[in-house]
Amino acid sequence: MEQFAPVKRSKDGQPIRYLVVDDSVFARKNLARIIETFGGQLAGEAGDGLTAITEYERTHPDIVLMDITMPQMEGIEAAEKIVQKHPEARIVMVSSVGYQENIVAALQRGARHFVQKPVKPEVLYEVIKYVLGEEATAASAAGAGA
Amino acid sequence: MSQFSDERGAELREFFFETAQELLQSLNDEALKLEKQPGDVETVRSIRRIVHTLKGDAAACGFRELSETAHELEDALAQESTAGNTSLAEIVFKAADVFAAMLAAYRHKSKLPATATLRKMVKELVMAPAAKKANGKKSQKAAPKANHAKGGTHKASGTEAKAAREAKTSSAKAHWTEYEEASVRNAAATGHHVFHIDAIVDPNCAMPIAARQLVLNGLGAIGNVLAVRPEANTASAKRLEILLASQKAAEQVGAKTQIPTVISSVRVEVVAEPTAPAEADVSIDEVAAANQAPETDSIRMPAEEPAGKHHGLAATENILRVDAERIDNVLNLVGELIIGKSMLQQALNEFARHYPKEGMRGRFVDAMAFQARVLNDLQRSVMKIRMVPVEQLFRRFPRMVRDVAKQCGRDVELVMTGQDTDLDKTLLDAITEPLTHLVRNAVGHGIERSEDRVRQGKPAQGTVHLKAYHQGNQVVVEVTDNGRGIDAQKVRARALEKGLITGEQAARLSEADIQALVFRPGFSTADEITEVSGRGVGLDVVQSVLQRLKGTVEIESRAGQGTTFRLKLPLTLAIIKALLFRVESRLYAIPLNTVAEIARANESEVHRVDHNEVLQLRNQVLPLLRLGRPSAKTEGHSKIFVLVITMADRKLGLIVDALEGEEELVIKALDDQAVATDLVSGASILGDGRVVLILNLAAVVERFAKLRPSEAGSISFGLLLSNADRTQLSTAGGAQA
Repeated sequence: MEQFAPVKRSKDGQPIRYLVVDDSVFARKNLARIIETFGGQLAGEAGDGLTAITEYERTHPDIVLMDITMPQMEGIEAAEKIVQKHPEARIVMVSSVGYQENIVAALQRGARHFVQKPVKPEVLYEVIKYVLGEEATAASAAGAGA
Repeated sequence: MSQFSDERGAELREFFFETAQELLQSLNDEALKLEKQPGDVETVRSIRRIVHTLKGDAAACGFRELSETAHELEDALAQESTAGNTSLAEIVFKAADVFAAMLAAYRHKSKLPATATLRKMVKELVMAPAAKKANGKKSQKAAPKANHAKGGTHKASGTEAKAAREAKTSSAKAHWTEYEEASVRNAAATGHHVFHIDAIVDPNCAMPIAARQLVLNGLGAIGNVLAVRPEANTASAKRLEILLASQKAAEQVGAKTQIPTVISSVRVEVVAEPTAPAEADVSIDEVAAANQAPETDSIRMPAEEPAGKHHGLAATENILRVDAERIDNVLNLVGELIIGKSMLQQALNEFARHYPKEGMRGRFVDAMAFQARVLNDLQRSVMKIRMVPVEQLFRRFPRMVRDVAKQCGRDVELVMTGQDTDLDKTLLDAITEPLTHLVRNAVGHGIERSEDRVRQGKPAQGTVHLKAYHQGNQVVVEVTDNGRGIDAQKVRARALEKGLITGEQAARLSEADIQALVFRPGFSTADEITEVSGRGVGLDVVQSVLQRLKGTVEIESRAGQGTTFRLKLPLTLAIIKALLFRVESRLYAIPLNTVAEIARANESEVHRVDHNEVLQLRNQVLPLLRLGRPSAKTEGHSKIFVLVITMADRKLGLIVDALEGEEELVIKALDDQAVATDLVSGASILGDGRVVLILNLAAVVERFAKLRPSEAGSISFGLLLSNADRTQLSTAGGAQA
């Protein structure tokens, strides 16, 4: 897997911390691997919406990668709940094309961006940089991949 | 060619015709402005925008010829040299006329009018050398300003149309509805730039709808999204067009739209510049945030999206287009409710009579009073829906006055006041023709030629004043000119000649009466347009329309000083306050506002003058009109009721048998088959189910005037008697007492 210029928090130079929410263990693994190539750090994981909320409270990550279809509580609802309490939360929805409407709903409820499954690292990288905006800096400009 | 073939297509086309009319109206308005200020760059731009919209709309409806003609004009307008062309206003007027004719042809599917003359004019406009500029300096001065406002990298003013054309070659620009256009103006008026954002969705992004939402989220943070195309969730929207009102610069707007992975390219164009300074220190973000606060005077439902970022402007959001028929339905129901109310009232009265001691009565009365109040409010609210400002009618006059003045070689200024006076839409539509007629007359016949005016010591430019205002329960629309006025002597002579009045009458009639003669049918003939008779053309039509509307038309004129025509209209046609009375034991009503007073008198006080019954009322002699036959009781001692009514400055007494009280009546129209007389204008149902006929006072008074010579002496003639009554009366010789 290709390497990307590591993205760091601009205020303290620390790695970006991610909360990965997906009911599929494989999907979480896959995302965690991609995050690593961005120089990121896995702050927590959750397999359903409810856990996602508690994990958010516990870890206060910089980025949440949120699946849509999950048991107990769906991604949209979890995203909404998190944003209500933490307007600064940066949530990126991760879903397949068939769930476009759900993504629109999530975006209307405060999600910041979306990526399509299967996740392409270079797309996610761009999205992460965009969502973090000035909160983060990439170590070198030459890493935009693809 | 037409893109719509189904029912919806027809509906859309209808909507197009409606909006196109408004566009043409604005086109005329702007052309008038241009005529006053030749070379005004802003006006030319505004004209170009209008033509552009018309072009796009027409193309969308498949009206190719209109679209192409408009396109040519738009192109010509884009040229810098055009603005200074002195004949530009003339061409725009011509264009407005040709477009109107084309629209009419499309609408009625008839043959399209020739556009060759217009096209030739437009072509000459393009060819015209820059030397023809009327105001070169001015346009030069204005150009850099426009450039500055556009912001560096983005399209400058002169090339805006070019950009539009470029866009057109790839794919046509979206068409904004009139409300969206209005919101653009609105935003500009509150100090915002309005941007047209054209964003192409990244071909790798498989979720364009989500992309659309993301863009809207982003833009919502820096401004107000006024409109978006595609509107709804269209599966294959590869291109987004957005109108955004913002105080940010075009570059920032572009950057905000350029969202990685979803948007591949963005183009931002300025479509409107702030026409007013921004509200002090309030950034758009704050405005958006404060949207739920009442002071932004937007009545907005709590945002469906908690993100609350996708709004249009309040002013446009809250306008509904509703079929007039639906409102009429509601008004009808309100009418029924009012009937219901009087039924209840009636029942309650009876109940009170039967059980005067019953304690429940008070509660009934309270509930009734409450209901009556609410009903009153409801009625007023519903009527308000039907009300439109007379501005809608007035705005067509500037162009018309200009044309007529030009035709007749007059110099006329049109002054309009009270445009915001509200009037029932039905009434407004109905007075369009009469009012047009009066204004045309005032310009063409009322105002003298400039040299004549100067000779009389008047300002060379004549003035026609259109005025609307409320007066009690009525709306008054006045057309006043400061022209030559109506010469009573000439009218008198003419009326004599036409046999409208007898010599005896001619001597007796007051000046006002004489002037009123111009409303008589046949007063003038079309082939003899003289100073006086010219004004009489069609005035009888004006009067008959006003009578149909239960209104009146008055004339006030001073020779050499001018003439005022005053149209008085009821606020609404549907519900009136009326006075109920009895004649020959039948129930009748007249509008309460026509009743000046109610007098009681003895039969013995009624005198006869010229075979007419009159009554000395205080220091006035009141002509009387007997609606029924004289009281059968011993003559001289019975008391009579006299309703003193005022009609167009005339006073008249109606003798009635008994008064029944006043009531709100919901007027039900009567068709001609049901009532074969023009004396009755409608009917209504009372709470107890009785039917009451509403008298058409204008016709009653008219009948009275005509009646005089022929019916002289037969005072027993009752106006409201049926034929059967009358026959009986004449055979019995009035001796049945």
